Amino acid sequence: MAVPTVDTLDNGLHVVVEEQPWNPGVSFTILVPAGAVNDPPELQGAASMLETWLWKGAGPRDARLFADSLDALGVRRQSGTGIEYTTFSASLLPEGLPAALELYADLLMRPRLPDDAFESVRSLALQELAAVEDQPMRKLMQHLRREAFTSSHGQPVEGTRETLEAMTPAVLRAEHARRYGPEGTIVAVAGGVEPGVVRRAVEAHFGAWRGGRAGEPPVALSKPHGFHVSQETEQVQIGLFYEDVPPGHYDFYAARLAASILSGGMSSRLFTEVREKRGLVYSVGASPGSVKGFGYLIAYAGTMPERASDTLEVIRQVISGLREGVTRAELDRAKVGLRADLVLAGESSRARAAALARDMFILGRARGLEEVEAEVMDVTLDRIDLFLSKHPYENPWVGTLGPVEVA
Amino acid sequence: MARVEFHEATLPNGLKVIAEVNPEAKSAAAGYFVRTGSRDEVAGEEGISHFLEHMVFKGSERRSAWDVNREFDEMGAKYNAFTNEEMTVFYGAVLPEFLPRLLDLLSDLMQPALREEDFESERKVILEEIALYRDRPDAVLFERAQRRYFGSHPLARPVLGTPESISRMRLAQMRSYHARRYLTGNMTLAFAGNLVWEEALLLAETMTSGWRRGKAPRNYPGFKPRPGLERDRFDKATQLYTTFVAPGVSARREERYTARVLAEILGDPDNGRLFWRLVDTGLAESAVAFHHEFDELGAFYVFAQGDPANEEAISEAVREELQRLRASGVSSEELGRAKLKAATSLVFAGETTLSRLFYVGANYSYTGRYEPLDAVRRWVLHLETYHVEELLEEHDFAETLEYRLVPTAKD
Repeated sequence: MAVPTVDTLDNGLHVVVEEQPWNPGVSFTILVPAGAVNDPPELQGAASMLETWLWKGAGPRDARLFADSLDALGVRRQSGTGIEYTTFSASLLPEGLPAALELYADLLMRPRLPDDAFESVRSLALQELAAVEDQPMRKLMQHLRREAFTSSHGQPVEGTRETLEAMTPAVLRAEHARRYGPEGTIVAVAGGVEPGVVRRAVEAHFGAWRGGRAGEPPVALSKPHGFHVSQETEQVQIGLFYEDVPPGHYDFYAARLAASILSGGMSSRLFTEVREKRGLVYSVGASPGSVKGFGYLIAYAGTMPERASDTLEVIRQVISGLREGVTRAELDRAKVGLRADLVLAGESSRARAAALARDMFILGRARGLEEVEAEVMDVTLDRIDLFLSKHPYENPWVGTLGPVEVA
Repeated sequence: MARVEFHEATLPNGLKVIAEVNPEAKSAAAGYFVRTGSRDEVAGEEGISHFLEHMVFKGSERRSAWDVNREFDEMGAKYNAFTNEEMTVFYGAVLPEFLPRLLDLLSDLMQPALREEDFESERKVILEEIALYRDRPDAVLFERAQRRYFGSHPLARPVLGTPESISRMRLAQMRSYHARRYLTGNMTLAFAGNLVWEEALLLAETMTSGWRRGKAPRNYPGFKPRPGLERDRFDKATQLYTTFVAPGVSARREERYTARVLAEILGDPDNGRLFWRLVDTGLAESAVAFHHEFDELGAFYVFAQGDPANEEAISEAVREELQRLRASGVSSEELGRAKLKAATSLVFAGETTLSRLFYVGANYSYTGRYEPLDAVRRWVLHLETYHVEELLEEHDFAETLEYRLVPTAKD
């Protein structure tokens, strides 16, 4: 397996490359550290609106010519805004990579941000916000984050009706200047391309970039508590938020393996106890998440109102039961599962580019798959049991959404 | 692209076995593609294909449900199953050394025990799954539109069934459905990735020798699209959801790739005609088009979602774009861009072992042929505007059904 190379340009931009010589394609992810977390409170939703507005023309091209130029290189693309950053991802054939990077340099460094597109960008943002109401699980997860974090990590990526309606072109342009710059931005590339080729292209097109860097505030949390969101749905959505160890921590992979024992495969504890033995739900699970310097575990389930309190009770018991430790067989299954995940992820240039960019953002370095595998394999039964006894998963924030409040 | 080699064989019991072998791959995948789905259900069986897919994981005579879950996880397998109108697929991907064990497990599961207590517990899970989708307006829209568009044709039936049909279902019905549909002549066993063909074939023969033989028929009643406009209220929606359905191309015909490129010209999410008309202008939050292939026919779908206040404007804009496509076809520039993008997607469809398994297995199940991704890619790159025009002549967007879901509160 390949070891990623990391370079930092004079202006602070990081370039990460993992060569996959067998791969006829190449993918990249450009991560810009602008997200909900550095939206000023009165401008919530700004990072997300800005991401949409960027596509309305850049450098010498208007929006349509820009899209046509990417299409002419066969570029499949996506962009998205999250809590901490905005990503721009693309997949294409390697010979088009330098030309595609040139276009993305225009997009990030020289967007036109035209006045006449601003109202349609606002209209899209308002519709996206409204659509959250039609997605019960997504809505609950948003509430859960807002309840748990008192720092800006709890701010909604989509913004609020008030902040979106108050947004102006001048304010958003200032946000672009303040938050889009080479410092903290990561260009991560994986696929059938040599690192030297990538470095030269990034240097040529992004080397002259100057711009701001907003940074992230420290995480602050409320006291764990429960809450309910009333909505006329068929199912009650249940979400639990637990504090966990941060990425880079000695026990990070012990915690990952514990999450996998809870919810990795169909023999995992939550699936077995909640769905297989009791038939309480169709979907149940727990997934680890993190922001810079802080880790959390979110458990979720959806079930009909009359079974919601049983479901919640079983989930809480299963998760707090982790403190009693795990069996060797469970740990072995979790390890082989994570190992297979790594191998399969290694087949996909898209998955690798995204993981490298995230690694670089969260940890300040990019790891090859072998290094991650070694960290996973290093976790012994004693180590995970010791971790679980010292760090019991208890006292979560608990949220429900649905027609009845769950006791 | 990696040097891949294709193999196919028919076992003495009639089971078709195929493999796309790539010695450089780091993983191996296997899947049973059973040619059965909601369209093959008879009255009283609505949702039984999908319910059976769940019951398969509850074990065989040799294995309990727990054994099944444990063994998959012991291999670190990425595995699952899905059911649609015409196909039920069980698959897994593993590190190459686990392939024999994966094959043993998957094969054993094709002859499920179907135990009464598992049936009752899984019935509840299915009812929860139905409830889950009833909270999602887009899923509700597509189910209703499909029922209306296909009318009395079997493709109209919902894959999950209904709460009523699932509540009434009996285990004996499932046994008889399994005996009727899970026959060697109605299944394909597909492999992809790093494996030795001769070994895999030999194992497959041993593991499936006692299986029930035979072919399972499928009904192909005539179909006449029923154009029109339906407008339903839905109390769980706050946004407008609308879909347009028009006749397309069957999964057995090569022209399906032309149809996909045409759908891309119309409704690519970044640069399609609908994007510029509806999303770039802020009229709708999203507006996309795609082509879906069924066994003997296909369908073009347009989907748009947005502010209910724009309901008429969105509908009008989509109609005009469909009309413009009928009247003036496509330009060679936009065809050039769309086919290049489609060709790039085909390269990435070959990236992972699991996506190759789906591609090879599903195509072969429909066509009985192996179409290498490279060949399809060349085919797509050679498309000319007259291919698209021929398609437009054959498939008339005037026969479009529009189905809208609007919030109750609005009226």
